[in-house]
Amino acid sequence: MTELLNSLFGPFYGNMIGLLLSATQWTIYLSLAAFIGGGLLGLMLTVLKISPLKPLRWFATAYIWLFQSIPLLMLLFLLGLGIPVFFQIDVPAWLAAGTALTLFTSAYMSEVWRGALESIPQGQWEAGKAVGLTFIQNLWWIIAPQALRIATPSTVGFMIQVIKGTSMAYIIDYNDLMRWGKKIANSQLDGAEPFIVFPIVALIYFCLCFPLSLWSKHLEKKMVLT
Amino acid sequence: MSKWYDDFQVLKDIDLSVAFGERIVICGPSGSGKSTLIRCLNHLEEHQKGSITVNDISLSPGMKNPEKVRREVGMVFQSFNLFPHLTILENCMLPQQRALKRTKAEAREIGMRFLERVKIPEQSDKYPRQLSGGQQQRVAIARALCMEPKIMLFDEPTSALDPEMVSEVLDTMIELAESGMTMLCVTHEMGFARKVADRVIFMDAGKIVESSDPEAFFSNPQHPRTKEFLGQIL
Amino acid sequence: MFDFRFYEIWRSEEFISALLSGAFNSFWLSAVGGMLGFCFGLMLAISQDKTVFWGVRYTARSYIEIVRNTPFIVQLFFVAFGLPLLFDYQWSFFASALLAITLNFSAYFAEIVRSGIDTIDKGQLEAAKSLCFSKRQTLFDIILPQALVKVYPSLTSQFVFLFLTTGLVSEISVEDLTWAGRFISDRNFRDFEVFIVLTVIYILLAWLFKLILQGIKRLAFPWSVNK
Ligand SMILES: Nc1ncnc2c1ncn2[C@@H]1O[C@H](COP(=O)(O)OP(=O)(O)OP(=O)(O)O)[C@@H](O)[C@H]1O
Ligand SMILES: [Mg+2]
Repeated sequence: MTELLNSLFGPFYGNMIGLLLSATQWTIYLSLAAFIGGGLLGLMLTVLKISPLKPLRWFATAYIWLFQSIPLLMLLFLLGLGIPVFFQIDVPAWLAAGTALTLFTSAYMSEVWRGALESIPQGQWEAGKAVGLTFIQNLWWIIAPQALRIATPSTVGFMIQVIKGTSMAYIIDYNDLMRWGKKIANSQLDGAEPFIVFPIVALIYFCLCFPLSLWSKHLEKKMVLT
Repeated sequence: MSKWYDDFQVLKDIDLSVAFGERIVICGPSGSGKSTLIRCLNHLEEHQKGSITVNDISLSPGMKNPEKVRREVGMVFQSFNLFPHLTILENCMLPQQRALKRTKAEAREIGMRFLERVKIPEQSDKYPRQLSGGQQQRVAIARALCMEPKIMLFDEPTSALDPEMVSEVLDTMIELAESGMTMLCVTHEMGFARKVADRVIFMDAGKIVESSDPEAFFSNPQHPRTKEFLGQIL
Repeated sequence: MFDFRFYEIWRSEEFISALLSGAFNSFWLSAVGGMLGFCFGLMLAISQDKTVFWGVRYTARSYIEIVRNTPFIVQLFFVAFGLPLLFDYQWSFFASALLAITLNFSAYFAEIVRSGIDTIDKGQLEAAKSLCFSKRQTLFDIILPQALVKVYPSLTSQFVFLFLTTGLVSEISVEDLTWAGRFISDRNFRDFEVFIVLTVIYILLAWLFKLILQGIKRLAFPWSVNK
């Protein structure tokens, strides 16, 4: 890999790009963790939000409101700097960043999914009830499959938000693509000026996000057609 | 005149001439090309073969300034197409100010005049969605008249309306017909056709299959498709 | 059990004035950036029309995709550290922040406005045509007012979402609300309390923005408000 990069871009840029690409894996891990964690948590919240029990619904509503209102940056500061100082404990950057992004993702995802569920006509719920399905069975077998189709484009679209969101994690010293980009741009080396490094960093983010963006648009078109 | 959508021929060798002051009703089954025909007359659609001449202006595919024709031709749509963000009066004023460069005061005066003519001057400050369908369609007629066209085209002006509102729009149209306006109406309101039409045209599959005065048209249709159609509709 | 010491923030006049001026700066950076971004976004949205020269159209499209698919912080650093070197002229970080915010917001707004334009009923265009509106008049008198009202809720929530990311400008030493928070927590070591207070202020500002945007809607589009 290093050899290939070196032969393509010369030793200097080959090295730089190699460093950035290997930092990119941490961006990807964090994105995946946040997306999976946030997805699962968001799923639970969605169920709570439409459950027949009032206190559960309230809890979900408050949670979603809270984590949609808190700026992601503040969430990172609170978890990465605030909590360690306050409780005198050590929180590794990956844990703080992962948790912050998970909370952020879960709130937005559950909002998307609730919207999709609510767009399913009431008659579908009643049809399920009529044949004797419980709330959970009804949700799982009748409603969710239909809602899933509606929600996939936005879900895929939100993955882009998550990836872009991970770029803030460098603030609490998470060693991702952004942090390495900044380090290299600060190195004062000839050829590693900010106007060269940041476009390369941007390009790498773009390569992660743009396919998702195309995919999301494609899904949306397909959904409109059917 | 002929027209194609890709390789589907919608209009087949249409040959029609309309005199000044003539009132024509066009009817026919769905998909027969009625809308397409009258939309060609103000260049909302382009024809591909033959020629169309409106008030000595000839229309051609890809013509540069269709506005010249559209100034002479007013159009009323099935779905009203009022501008929802403008009041009734503004709906009537804005086109005059923009296309005819009339001043605001002039446009207001003329707008009110035509709103009175369609009998809804008191609604002039409301927005379209606050009006009933029949009222909206009358506003649409007034809006078109404000441009002082020489010819009026109507594309099923009453078929999106609740039955009880149809007559108020038809009355407006009858009044307009009696004032001597040249009109081409696509409509299935046979009562209206009988009352004001000079000629009734029946279209089927992109062709004019029958064209006669209303008396003959209703009492003695020539073409079997016309008979069948009249049998369904009456 | 918990030893919250919020008073460590209030006890210093310096801290309070840092918070206030930070909040003020955050507010107006977003407000001005939002307005400029809206104007630029409108132009981008309009230039997506099929009738526009393809070179312009594709440039605008690429711009929108690039901005929407890269993080704001990278754009900010490029504008703040890269551009001055390229142009060999150092402008203030405040100007960089404003520029980056404007460029960033505009792409998101453009995409939303574009989607609004696409949903305008074809009948509206036909009516405008048959009433002899020119293309330009149709766009400004008929299409845009309706499209903007349709997407107003999306524009509002997008703006608020973007506002919540502007704390990143503190990374280029712009003295915004987040910068004030770091300034204070560096001195009183009460990070947790400071960021809780900051969060509350951000939420209040977001709420204020929503209120103002509601008001603007009433003024600009009176017909869209139910009577
Ligand atoms: N934009 C278009 N592209 C392709 N085909 C079209 C288009 N518009 C209309 N058509 C076809 O042209 C034919 C004539 O359409 P037109 O709207 O003129 O019919 P119509 O007589 O007005 O019918 P209706 O009573 O339903 O309004 C139809 O078969 C229709 O499917
Ligand atoms: Mg029709």
